[in-house]
Amino acid sequence: MLVNFSRQNDIGVIKVGKALTAATVDTFREQLSRWQEAESDVKNYVIDLEQVDFMDSAGLGTLIAVLKRITERGGDMKIAALQKKPRMVFEITRAYKVFEIYENVDDAVKAFD
Amino acid sequence: MIAVFNTARACDWAQQIGDTPWPLLPVANRPLLDYWLEACTELGVSKVHIVLGEDAKQIEDFIGSGERWNVQVEYAFARPAEDSLDYLKTISGHWKDGLFYMGGPFFLRRRKAYVSNGFQDLKACRHDFNKEAMFIYGPTSAEVDALIDSSGAGRGLEEVHIHPYAIGSIKAYFNLNLKMVTAEFSRYVTAGFASSDGSSLGYNVRTPPSSHLQSPILVGNDCRFGPMTTIGPNAVIANHVIVDAFSELVDCLILDDTYIGRNLEIRGKIVSGNRVIDPSDGTVVRIDDSWLIARNRPDMRTEDVVRYIILWFCTLGLVAVQVIPFCLLLPMVLISRVAGYSRKLFHDPHTGYIILPVFIKYQDRRSAIYRLFRALSLDKFPWLLRVLRGKLFLCGQPPMRHPEDDELIKQLKQYYPGVFCYQDYNRDSDRLTDSLWYAHIRSLYEDVKILIKALLTRFLSAGRKTASDRV
Repeated sequence: MLVNFSRQNDIGVIKVGKALTAATVDTFREQLSRWQEAESDVKNYVIDLEQVDFMDSAGLGTLIAVLKRITERGGDMKIAALQKKPRMVFEITRAYKVFEIYENVDDAVKAFD
Repeated sequence: MIAVFNTARACDWAQQIGDTPWPLLPVANRPLLDYWLEACTELGVSKVHIVLGEDAKQIEDFIGSGERWNVQVEYAFARPAEDSLDYLKTISGHWKDGLFYMGGPFFLRRRKAYVSNGFQDLKACRHDFNKEAMFIYGPTSAEVDALIDSSGAGRGLEEVHIHPYAIGSIKAYFNLNLKMVTAEFSRYVTAGFASSDGSSLGYNVRTPPSSHLQSPILVGNDCRFGPMTTIGPNAVIANHVIVDAFSELVDCLILDDTYIGRNLEIRGKIVSGNRVIDPSDGTVVRIDDSWLIARNRPDMRTEDVVRYIILWFCTLGLVAVQVIPFCLLLPMVLISRVAGYSRKLFHDPHTGYIILPVFIKYQDRRSAIYRLFRALSLDKFPWLLRVLRGKLFLCGQPPMRHPEDDELIKQLKQYYPGVFCYQDYNRDSDRLTDSLWYAHIRSLYEDVKILIKALLTRFLSAGRKTASDRV
């Protein structure tokens, strides 16, 4: 399973299990869509990237697409536990200006309050 | 006097930056060795003895006969594990008239007070770094003898206004380059050739009017900057660099043959080919993504292209021969439930990871169909299809599992995951040793040898397990 889903205070916590690259984004998108359909009342999301040690432009593009879809539905998305290597990809692509990034999932969940 | 340059010393931090050996890593767009050879010219040293190691070919290609620096160069190979000072003692006959020795990544950093030909006043001295002799200078053999046996204290180079700068980490290397661009570059340029703002642009640099160059910057040859790019301040850009539109490069070092994609922000980083390095902690991210950062010159040389084409057609031939037996035998293997394919994650040199189907025996029982399947190497059929798509090599190193083989991967400078490898015919094969050996002697002959031996061994041993089945 690439993605694990859970709910904390009506916030969907999406834990990604491995590198988010061109090879894995389709599975990520598919699993996320399925979960979103099943849990349609969830508006806000936290993407937990603790186990993601690499990300390429396809992975980043997918996160931006997910953010866009969530905001279109009136929700919001935050990133948690961004590791050093993906953080460097965020830095060079200026993605840190697009996402709100938190040290861990709890901080990200609290930020919705 | 003779100069002895030891380029054989291993340097872990330099290996993180890329394939360029540390003596050829650029400092302000000039290889470190260039500065050393220039110092020889200043000191009036005409004979240079270069001690070569693993990267001998690249270093020989760069220095050649030494004509460019008006020096006569001789090469020697270092014995593994031989101490530098012991080596110097063995060639004591060479330095009867004095010695100028450089023993590692060491930069002769000119201070502001340094004057041209300042080296002429240099007195016998030795500088050590991490208890290793990095620099020895003695105009007479007696002085050199005394320095070799001493502990290396003294101000030697400082007295002629040269800072003995040992480059001991990626951070030190990055800082040196930034110091060069911010203030010190003009000290290495003949008076009258330095621009007032300390910047330098090489030949054939194309900058559209909308590109914003902010001094100080150092730009090498053959560079292209896209529209609306911001280059500098404090950017060192080497040769053959392409920066796509809207990108911003500040306080950074971009090494040779690098493509920087559109709308990126490189700040406080080293970018070398497809690697982004954070000099503050040495974190390296390998990105092979033409939308972000990539190497803009293919690694392939003519012989690589020839090898690739020949082996691609060999693979096509193998696939053509195997396709019918595979289609007939696979259903029988699956029905007998003795074995099957399981998807496993492996390291990939380009994308980081690749999922490959691994043929695994489920039951420990004898099965003629299973042995026939393996004897004909049909278990490798799905991998051969990936060779045709350019995802694997036909012959190479055993593909390394992720994350189990992370430690092995770290020790490999070059990684060529192949369908067939030494392990297919050598039961006592050690994966790390064989992988390093393969990377060292990789050639078409070696690949053909591996292919023939692997296919024959598998066939003659009637598909019994080989060392490669450990994956």
